[in-house]
Amino acid sequence: MTSLKRSHASTAPTTTLSSKTYLRTLKSGKVQKIVRELYLRQDIPCSSQLCTACLDLAPPSFHRKTEPFVLSATPAATKQYPQGHYLVPDTNAFLSAMDLFETEGAAFQDVIVLQTVLEEVKNRSLPLYNRLIALTKNEGKRFYVFFNDFRLETYVQRDAGETINDRNDRAVRKACAWYAEHLRQAVTARQSARYPAVIMISNDKDSLRKANAEDIEASNLESYVKGLPDADRLLDMVASSREQRLARETKAETLYPEYLSMSAMLTGVKNGTLHQGIFNVSPYNYLEGTVHVPAFDRALIVQGRENSNRAVSGDIVVIEVLPKDQWKAPSSKVIEEEDLGKNENAEVDEDSSEAIVTERERRALQEEVRRAHGQVAEGKKQPTAKVVGIIKRNWRQYVGHVDKDSVRTRTKDSRAQQTVFLVPMDKRIPKIRVRTRQAAGLLGQRVLVTIDTWDRESRYPVGHFIRSLGELETKGAETEALLLEWDVQYRPFPRTVLDCLPPEGHEWEVPKSVDDPGWTGRRDLTDLLICSIDPPGCVDIDDALHARLLPNGNFEVGVHIADVSHFVKPNNAMDKEASLRGTTVYLVDKRIDMLPMLLGTDLCSLKPYIERYAFSVIWELDKNADIVSSTFTKSVIRSREAFSYEAAQLRIDDKSQQDDLTKGMRHLMMLSKRLRAKRMAAGALNLASPEVRVQTESETSDPVDVQTKQLLDTNQLVEEFMLLANISVASKIYEAFPQTALLRRHAAPPKTNFEELGNQLKVKKGMELHTDSSKAVADSLDKCVDQSEPFFNTLVRILATRCMMSAEYFCSGTQAPSEFRHYGLASEIYTHFTSPIRRYADLEAHRQLAAAIDYEPLDASLQSKSKIEAVCKNINVRHRNAQMAGRASVEYYVGQALKGRVLEEDGFIMRIFSNGFVVFVPRFGIEGLIRLRDLPEEVGREQDSVFDSEDYSLTLRGGKVERKVELFQKVTVKISDEAEESTGKRKIKLQLTK
Amino acid sequence: MPLDTSTYALAHLRLDGRRWNELRRLHASLSVQSSSDGSAYLEQGNTKILATVSGPQEPVRRTGRDGSSEAKIEVEVNVTPFSGTDRKRRAKGEKRVQELQLTVARAFQGVVLGHLYPHSVVEVRLHVLSQDGSLLAACLNAATLALIDAGIPMTDYIAACTVASSPSSDQSIDDSDPLLDLNGLEEQELPFLSIATSGEEGKVCVLMMETKVQMARLEAMVSVGLDGCGQIRGILDEVVRQHGKRVLEAKVG
Repeated sequence: MTSLKRSHASTAPTTTLSSKTYLRTLKSGKVQKIVRELYLRQDIPCSSQLCTACLDLAPPSFHRKTEPFVLSATPAATKQYPQGHYLVPDTNAFLSAMDLFETEGAAFQDVIVLQTVLEEVKNRSLPLYNRLIALTKNEGKRFYVFFNDFRLETYVQRDAGETINDRNDRAVRKACAWYAEHLRQAVTARQSARYPAVIMISNDKDSLRKANAEDIEASNLESYVKGLPDADRLLDMVASSREQRLARETKAETLYPEYLSMSAMLTGVKNGTLHQGIFNVSPYNYLEGTVHVPAFDRALIVQGRENSNRAVSGDIVVIEVLPKDQWKAPSSKVIEEEDLGKNENAEVDEDSSEAIVTERERRALQEEVRRAHGQVAEGKKQPTAKVVGIIKRNWRQYVGHVDKDSVRTRTKDSRAQQTVFLVPMDKRIPKIRVRTRQAAGLLGQRVLVTIDTWDRESRYPVGHFIRSLGELETKGAETEALLLEWDVQYRPFPRTVLDCLPPEGHEWEVPKSVDDPGWTGRRDLTDLLICSIDPPGCVDIDDALHARLLPNGNFEVGVHIADVSHFVKPNNAMDKEASLRGTTVYLVDKRIDMLPMLLGTDLCSLKPYIERYAFSVIWELDKNADIVSSTFTKSVIRSREAFSYEAAQLRIDDKSQQDDLTKGMRHLMMLSKRLRAKRMAAGALNLASPEVRVQTESETSDPVDVQTKQLLDTNQLVEEFMLLANISVASKIYEAFPQTALLRRHAAPPKTNFEELGNQLKVKKGMELHTDSSKAVADSLDKCVDQSEPFFNTLVRILATRCMMSAEYFCSGTQAPSEFRHYGLASEIYTHFTSPIRRYADLEAHRQLAAAIDYEPLDASLQSKSKIEAVCKNINVRHRNAQMAGRASVEYYVGQALKGRVLEEDGFIMRIFSNGFVVFVPRFGIEGLIRLRDLPEEVGREQDSVFDSEDYSLTLRGGKVERKVELFQKVTVKISDEAEESTGKRKIKLQLTK
Repeated sequence: MPLDTSTYALAHLRLDGRRWNELRRLHASLSVQSSSDGSAYLEQGNTKILATVSGPQEPVRRTGRDGSSEAKIEVEVNVTPFSGTDRKRRAKGEKRVQELQLTVARAFQGVVLGHLYPHSVVEVRLHVLSQDGSLLAACLNAATLALIDAGIPMTDYIAACTVASSPSSDQSIDDSDPLLDLNGLEEQELPFLSIATSGEEGKVCVLMMETKVQMARLEAMVSVGLDGCGQIRGILDEVVRQHGKRVLEAKVG
């Protein structure tokens, strides 16, 4: 019998073998022992441009490429390290100060990320790990990942009895020592004496002490940052360390109940005693949140700070329903944080304990309860719950401003650290407590902060500053603020994206020769009389149209869409960027493009008089606008004219124009009216949203005036054919790819959504709202007419729109075909195809359609259900955010346009609370809250007013005569502007005059 | 959560510190079990296989009128319950194991000179003692050695390895490297193929791929695989020669 002795002889001279054994506990409680091989080697370069030895030994990849060296030969010098330095942060440095490492500018460049550290960061926090990986890919930052655990000289074996942390700290020190020595040798080889210092950054006292003993340059983060220029700004970006928080913990008493353990929550949710959902805070009352859970139709209410237990709007929480005697009615009162929490001191819970619920808040809540109890008869109390745990925090970066009352010292040059409150722009987010040395300088600025933790001992979450955006109310700061707030990617396109553009740039044109590969599979439609109709000043022209009478009496109608998919190939950098952005965002004075300008406004844009690639949908329609046949083809077109809506309207109406182009447009107009009538008969909804246009001065883009948008017949003309094209394309791609077609659906709203509005109409106007189908809704909306008040109908439509679900993109394989319906358009199937320049969904639809007509093969990413789903998820969010950002921008500009003016306008009451009401002013499309305490005659007599929630009315007794305010009432309001204290926004202030 | 294969692009280092074209340590010895006609023990990284061969011999059960003029190769793979990270007993007729047996048997049917032993069988038993990726390849390599040890005439070695396609760092340029000889973790995360060749000219006799991979990457993967098989063939050859030398020395000395 031969004995099987294991040989450890190495297979190659440069590698030696080691192995790593570790234990892992599975979710099921099972313990696994995992053995991994480790091949230690000496060909891992140091990646410093100072070193020539490593340059020779870095082995090439399969494609015969070696990675360029990252770390600069002349790294930045500081006071402490005049010869320049490389940084080697440990895990905690990254965990506590990732924002710091991400700062733009000269600080924190030339950083060596050790494999040990990278692994630990991944273990501790996946989002931070992803940010760190992103940093290593950012060329300007010069972050290099050094795989120290694979390099023979820096590999550290864990000693018996040594903890993992100690072993990792030792690995970091060893890597630092190696680097320092290696650089010294490299520099000596070049016969130079100056070599950069390698500095270990750590906050671990023990590790720092050992580093000193081993003669390794080391520093803790704070003292390192202090040596940098601009230290104050940078220091604020460090999250307060655990030690600091722990020190506080011993003193303060706990304010909030503890969360349940993850396993307790999961079991609870599984067996139905607890519920999981997203925590949404009411925009009118910051103390009240709702959680919609799958188990119930209606959302559960969470009232008060104690019950919401540190949940921030947007978090995924687990809740427990409270016993019935603690149920409450949803608040009928407006409560804003600024009213109640005004005099709090940000520093306070460091020295003394405090209650979570302040006396004033408690009083406000008591009042609520009293009111609720007073109306028990109506049974308006609703199931109420409390938060018992958080599944996932959804914290992001928040834009806000420093609460000036919380700043202690106002002197600019004071460098004392103090704690201040930051008031987020989003009213649903609580104040954030932030420690800073630059409080005085930050007053009156828009700042970006992030939440780090919310401990049980702290009434408010604790966060840290990231950066300042600029002064409040300046255009730049406010625009950036709203882009950040809605997570719009507004940075210029990176070079990798611009590299994907055609090299000819603006010189690009449709190839002359029909033999050019660009022409394969394309139809030459340059003879057709095509024109485009868009809003005035539109530069990204997505669509163009044509129509002509066929000899058989039918019409040929074509919709031609910019062929963006020709320029944006799947999976290249430009496509990735576009899919991240998802949509172009339109602000009042600014457009944040989804695709680079060159494509959006030139090469793809269907500009008049020149040839452009297009994707055409061509139908034969009969006189009733029924589709006889439809074809889809890639094409080359030449638009004859780019009209604005007004110009097109004038041309159609002008009887003297009898050329073929105008005739075509008249055919289009006639057919579009038929199409519209058919759609309306099928039950399409004609909804309204308050849309205004801000007129700006062309040069300074300062707002001059506000107008409501006008709708012309030509708007509807374009809309009808776009809908028709979208529907035709949707059926085609669904037919070709039943599992993976990218479609758009609009779910029917649940009946409960309309309950409130239906009831309001019944009580106040005696009107009925039928909600059985979209047709019923459309018909009853048509009947909601108040003869004396023409605007009433629009008001009802606006309110009805708010009851609807939002439409969403989805992948056809994820829903049953019966769920495909688009409720608002009353169409069985729908997608977006007509605006590929500004929407990513349309671009994907183009690719699918191109594959469906065998123009080109379908990319793999469009064949996978999971990938399409991921795309849909992202673009749904982006679409929503873009709308919100657009609205916020209009709101800001309306505020600016009205700045310093006082106007009187008609308004309508659209919502009523016990201590105030919301007025909608159609002229400006704004709505504003009027609180009773803002009415001069009501001051001090608020308590006397009587709120009748059944009748939706509020009787005011403050004045000489009693005055009744009720829902849908027409009122006259005085409009002025004021800078709102709580959000720092310039807002419209409304005052009741009549 | 240890790092995964997505970090490959950072420094072109794999999870265990290898480069793209490096094999794991391969250690093998022959005649490790004297009761069989031929045996071999092979370690490819942490994948460990004991192979034994008995035969050529008369079939235990005559199946009908067996007129075959060639020796039949019968392969039995025994995946031991302790070979993986989880201890689990495998059912005898498990599909994956059956497929493995069939693939190995078919491959050797092509290189063994079966016509020399009509109406007989050669039984190859493969005991998987430890699994860490590239199971099929290791089985083929171990079987080759055991068959040689048993003195079964073959036209040439069968040498096998696995190749995966690494995730590319940048979507716009496909710079993914093919990775040679996978360990268990890489095998779970990456699309891969198993390839085996016979002879110095590298005739492909097994090519198996069960995962999806982009068409464009396949060619590079196969070419790296062929190269890897060549390297493995060299190592196996060296093992056989060393063993032969020792046997001769023992006889002569």
